[in-house]
Amino acid sequence: MSVPTSEAPTHTGDNNDPLDIPTVVLPINFLKCSRSDLIVLISRMLVFLIQINDNNAKTEEDKNGPTEAKLTRFHSSTPPNISIYNYLIRLTKYSALESAVLLSSVYYIDLLSSIYPSFTLNSLTAHRYLLTATSVASKGLCDSFCTNAHYAKVGGVQCSELNILEEEFLRKVNYRVIPRDNNISLCEFEYQQNEFSITNLNILPKDLQLSVMQKNSGYNVLEMYYRKMIQLIGSFSSSPDKNRRVDYKLEERVPNVSNIRDDIPNHPIRDISIRPPNKRSYDISAENNNDTFSNRSSQKNKTSLINHNKKLATEEIKMQTTERTK
Amino acid sequence: MSSQFKQLEKLGNGTYATVYKGLNKTTGVYVALKEVKLDSEEGTPSTAIREISLMKELKHENIVRLYDVIHTENKLTLVFEYMDNDLKKYMDSLTVGNNPQGLELHLVKYFQWQLLEGLAFCHENKILHRDLKPQNLLINKRGQLKLGDFGLARAFGIPVNTFSSEVVTLWYRAPDVLMGSRTYTTSIDIWSCGCILAEMITGKPLFPGTNDEEQLKLIFEMMGMPTEATWPGVSQLPKYATSSASFQQQHPQQLQPKDLKALLQANCKEKLDDVVINLLHGLLQLNPDMRLGAKQALHHTWFSEYYQRQT
Repeated sequence: MSVPTSEAPTHTGDNNDPLDIPTVVLPINFLKCSRSDLIVLISRMLVFLIQINDNNAKTEEDKNGPTEAKLTRFHSSTPPNISIYNYLIRLTKYSALESAVLLSSVYYIDLLSSIYPSFTLNSLTAHRYLLTATSVASKGLCDSFCTNAHYAKVGGVQCSELNILEEEFLRKVNYRVIPRDNNISLCEFEYQQNEFSITNLNILPKDLQLSVMQKNSGYNVLEMYYRKMIQLIGSFSSSPDKNRRVDYKLEERVPNVSNIRDDIPNHPIRDISIRPPNKRSYDISAENNNDTFSNRSSQKNKTSLINHNKKLATEEIKMQTTERTK
Repeated sequence: MSSQFKQLEKLGNGTYATVYKGLNKTTGVYVALKEVKLDSEEGTPSTAIREISLMKELKHENIVRLYDVIHTENKLTLVFEYMDNDLKKYMDSLTVGNNPQGLELHLVKYFQWQLLEGLAFCHENKILHRDLKPQNLLINKRGQLKLGDFGLARAFGIPVNTFSSEVVTLWYRAPDVLMGSRTYTTSIDIWSCGCILAEMITGKPLFPGTNDEEQLKLIFEMMGMPTEATWPGVSQLPKYATSSASFQQQHPQQLQPKDLKALLQANCKEKLDDVVINLLHGLLQLNPDMRLGAKQALHHTWFSEYYQRQT
């Protein structure tokens, strides 16, 4: 596999021998997973998506000539000077982000893309997206949270801009910020019907009707994203983000230990895979995505990976100065 | 906004918003318009994000419906189902001179039933209300009661580490939360339901403390001081040691729980039976694990006339 070897300056791993890569076993319950490991996973996941989307855009351009990029409020004019990994560390550290918030920021990518086709997670949108997603999740899900003024300062944007991004995000997803079963499907239906809340339940498929009319106690979404991320980019060699040289594996489930979430693999999958596969969506529920990805990474992404790493080197210095002045 | 709704009189000031009565010009239906100011430092208030994200999911006849959210320049308007009154104002209106009056018992029962129905629905949907009190229970002329104000609510299915103990208005706050527990669950709302039931019977708040310490003192004087025997684990709560020490200082001899029935009867014109007192004890268990669940409470004998009619 042709993965570039020398990565961020802090890394010594010049060896491609997979036997050399230490394996970290992650707990089944994501609350027990250390936030530093969670950040590595999420960073790998986002960089993975950014690469696919950046490449797709490039391929499109090569084929059809320069196209007018769909600009969103999340766009920067140039890619920000800090890696996703370091940005995540920064946000987590200074805004005390909880694990559920970090995982929600991955889930919200699917949520937002499902009803906002112009939005793509790429190297221009990822930072503003992450800042918005984590601050909305903190305010919507946690008992301790900060003001937008604080989040904006940590994230490096004007507070007035974060206010606009927040409003944009909430409005687009129609305030459906609680990661629970069927949330994305319901969000899509509301979008199609152009309604704040669906009043005519008959337009919904039977199972959705039930979850609206009766109880919706399904909260397996975050746990599922956690598992699927480990499957998809747990292995160091399959990840384009080389910030930590480690293979992640999910702890084996011990039989007979009561686990209330035994229904995960087959239950809420429609929530994620309902969208027709389109150019930028990743189908996290597809078991064979590992293979697809290895092909992609080895064939197409070489150049951007190298560029990415060059950037990292300069960023680390900038990050340090930012933090020293803080 | 202005095109669709006509803004009428002010109904009140909520914790983070002003509420107006409104008229939907196209349908002629009254609504409640909750206006939330958007602060430039804070952005969209967390209370608004919670209230909207949780209430749009909760469609039940004992929960106030959220119809829509309207964005304008620097405010957010939440369009709610209109209700004539809230339980607090209604009880205040019954006061004769300086004497608060309880509600008639058949109405107490009907309100308590609806309160528990709405709450059971929240709990089934893994949502904690965390601010149940008469002000947040809206009523109308048909005697319907609906839960409102979900600004402090949270989805307890999302595992997070921080559970604040600064929740629920003091008088309705459970003893475990007062002693600093952060692992509370649905039982936190059940305690409030017990306080509300007693208040509807007498017209007076059951535990009108002025601060955390006094609040606990009032509760313990009425219900007895919990011990490891009556509530395993209680001594591990952050504020147990201090509250138990100060309580023993004030009451050196062991204090027996008071007779709740006699106490409430003194402020109630109708004769109270043991059945309602039994329900009250089920809701006001000091040990949160011993409190009834909302569904269980709905199956209590006191409500038999309702569930017999239903089946």
